[in-house]
Amino acid sequence: MKAVTANRLIDGEVVFWKEGAWVDGFGDAQLFDEAQGEAVEAAVAAGKAAPTVIVDPYPIDLVAVEGLGLAPVSYRERIRALGPTNELLHGKQAEGGAVVEAIRHASGAARSTGRVDLIRRK
Amino acid sequence: MPKLIKLVGEQAQWAENTFVNVTDEDAIPEAGDVILSLTRFQAEGDALLSSNSRRVGVRIEPAEEVEALAYDLPRLSVVALAFPKYRDGRAYTSAHLLRERFAYQGEVRAVGDVLQEQAGFMVRCGFDAFEPNDGATPEAWTKAANRFRHVYQRAVDARPIAADERAVQAKEGAL
Amino acid sequence: MYQYDVIDREFLTDRSNEFRHQVTRRLAGELTEDQFKPLRLMNGLYLQLHAYMLRVAIPYGSLNSRQARRLAWVARTYDKGYGHMTTRQNIQFNWIKLKDAPDILDALAEVDLHAIQTSGNCIRNTTADPYAGATAEEIDDPRVWSEVIRQWSTLHPEFSYLPRKFKIAITGALTDRAAVKVHDIGLILRRARDGSLGFEVIVGGGQGRTPYVGPTIKHHLPASSLLSYLEAVLRVYNRHGRRDNIYKARIKILVAALGAEEFGRQVEEEWAKIDQGRADLGDLELARIRGAFAQTPFETLPARSEVFEAAKAASPALARFARNNVKPHKKPGYAIVEVSLKAVGQTPGDATADQLDVVADLAERYGLDDLRVTHAQNLVLPHIKLDDLPAVHAILEANGLATANIDLISDIIACPGLDYCALANARAIPIAQDIAKTFADPDRAETIGELKIKISGCINACGHHHVAHIGILGVDKKGEEFYQLSLGGSGAEDASIGKILGPALPADKVAPAIDTLVDTYLSARQGEERFLDTYRRVGLEPFKEAVYAQAD
Repeated sequence: MKAVTANRLIDGEVVFWKEGAWVDGFGDAQLFDEAQGEAVEAAVAAGKAAPTVIVDPYPIDLVAVEGLGLAPVSYRERIRALGPTNELLHGKQAEGGAVVEAIRHASGAARSTGRVDLIRRK
Repeated sequence: MPKLIKLVGEQAQWAENTFVNVTDEDAIPEAGDVILSLTRFQAEGDALLSSNSRRVGVRIEPAEEVEALAYDLPRLSVVALAFPKYRDGRAYTSAHLLRERFAYQGEVRAVGDVLQEQAGFMVRCGFDAFEPNDGATPEAWTKAANRFRHVYQRAVDARPIAADERAVQAKEGAL
Repeated sequence: MYQYDVIDREFLTDRSNEFRHQVTRRLAGELTEDQFKPLRLMNGLYLQLHAYMLRVAIPYGSLNSRQARRLAWVARTYDKGYGHMTTRQNIQFNWIKLKDAPDILDALAEVDLHAIQTSGNCIRNTTADPYAGATAEEIDDPRVWSEVIRQWSTLHPEFSYLPRKFKIAITGALTDRAAVKVHDIGLILRRARDGSLGFEVIVGGGQGRTPYVGPTIKHHLPASSLLSYLEAVLRVYNRHGRRDNIYKARIKILVAALGAEEFGRQVEEEWAKIDQGRADLGDLELARIRGAFAQTPFETLPARSEVFEAAKAASPALARFARNNVKPHKKPGYAIVEVSLKAVGQTPGDATADQLDVVADLAERYGLDDLRVTHAQNLVLPHIKLDDLPAVHAILEANGLATANIDLISDIIACPGLDYCALANARAIPIAQDIAKTFADPDRAETIGELKIKISGCINACGHHHVAHIGILGVDKKGEEFYQLSLGGSGAEDASIGKILGPALPADKVAPAIDTLVDTYLSARQGEERFLDTYRRVGLEPFKEAVYAQAD
């Protein structure tokens, strides 16, 4: 599974693509399965076409967390979806709930960069 | 032909661009003012200059050294300093050297990725002509170039620096 | 301290207005992100993992109480109530919104603070010895020269689009608390045999991907020629520094490629062509700047304070604090007080808004309104009367600021790492917290003595891991956070680059490995040797064997 993420221009907030809009919560993100590659590309393209709304859209890989739901594969993306691990009340994780728990319990074959279209860092 | 802004005193104004930028693939036009690459100038510049019928400029890329022009500078109407990317800052040093070290009196033109954000730096380094790449108007250019009421370091322009202003204040205060 | 005059203030106002204009144009779509990014970076604004991060310059690490309170106010109003001190003596706010950034810069400008050139490929905020003007070791006050450089480098028209960032550090003391040998330019104030003031100029040190201890290219630059010489160095670099590869663009690569001797020769050649009369600062302005730092109103006091001695005898906590955090001052009856931001379990270098206010109050009430940030991510009250130490300590203690661990094993430098930073490969903060917990016993920490642990979450080395006695570098190994240990580095006057111990370790094995390294050191230590001294005597092998034998 995949989702599409970016940061919102005006405040830097991590956002996720959902049916033509950008939403704050990972739990609300639109999920794409492997057959929906074109839809993923379309979401990224829509993000790039809205440079005054968001910055740098890209797809991320997701993984199932047993019995809890889905989480981003990579550490980096989990931290983006939660908030910093040294301040557990800062960022999106402050709200708590099942989605946060799922991400916190994710483990396994994480990649440090969650980008599917891995962009070389300059 | 890109639009040209020239500095007249502290004001930027639209100016007619009479120079044709000749790439290394182009033939040199029969007549009219031309800007050539350094390589092309070194090969064909003498002939053009001695014909005396037109003005000649040279385009300097960031990796090229303006010292190569030292001998010919008095005969050159324009030195165009290229910014392939606006973050490439070598042309600032080139402009500085042209003005400060070689006392070049002709036009120093900024070409390439030229944005109004650079206006202040460019003017201070001795540029006096600009081909903006961001659609900047002379009004925007003037405003950007004069945004700061004070400067801290000596440059090619004659602006008094903060230390000069303070010296004047100290003198006035002492009176 | 240097006071901004109307010129400095109008400059900041103009800068603030310029940035507001740029933000407006970005939000309106008139600037692309590619065009805007270098502009926001030159105002210290990064887009990080969770939000924008604003890095505010603290020139040469020096603040007054009003400025510290304003930083606290920014933390409360626009952030989540805290700020993070950096290894370049700046402060970062982690939760900034782009739309608020112009207002924040306006608010900072009101107290003579700004974020100019805290990022970007320009001359960054100049750093200096945090004990400047307070330590007796000092040959001359580095703040004077840092301020000279601050002004000269601010919006320098020729040197604002360099091949890469450019960092200058200055010390006036032989004990190097500014890491001058691992900067693009390091300046050490020295007197020549004839007594004339000058600088030893070190160029091309650095950390990151290719760490170097910088070579000295000039042994005695007359102090009055500083700016013309810097101009020559920067011009050679601007023209010849590599621009084709971001990892090879720092001046250290140019210096290493040419050799220090040839680089120095090119600088001399350029310097000879510069009109020094124009380029160097006049005596009048230099005297004005020097005067601003010379006016510290010290009292004449006895060298020994009975109040302090009695309080120390009565309070083991104060005695411990005095042993580790109180340093000798040049004036009898005064002390330099280090305020540790490394309490066990805390994020290294973070201060809450309330803590900033407390320290500001202490500086104002007891400390001649002077406050410093160190590159080790702590704060310093540079001028505290010995008589006032018990009171100052009590207030620090009540606010979680009296951890007596300066330069000890729990005084760990850590970058924000993957918890915040878009460049990081691994987290740094939780590793620091683990290690601090492992060595939470203050008696044991004092027994171990000086031991500098520094952690970076990626190879860019903001956490200075290359120059740590024990350096820790976060790496990404098949998607998991791993940590590579290195030993024997130093960023001080005995600068050296650490050597990698062996294969990287998973996160939960790092603190135990440090424990093993410490045990190995303690059993090999001779006399008063520091960890670094023992390492330099016995080499890497015993440490390597101990850590990896256990891991097997």
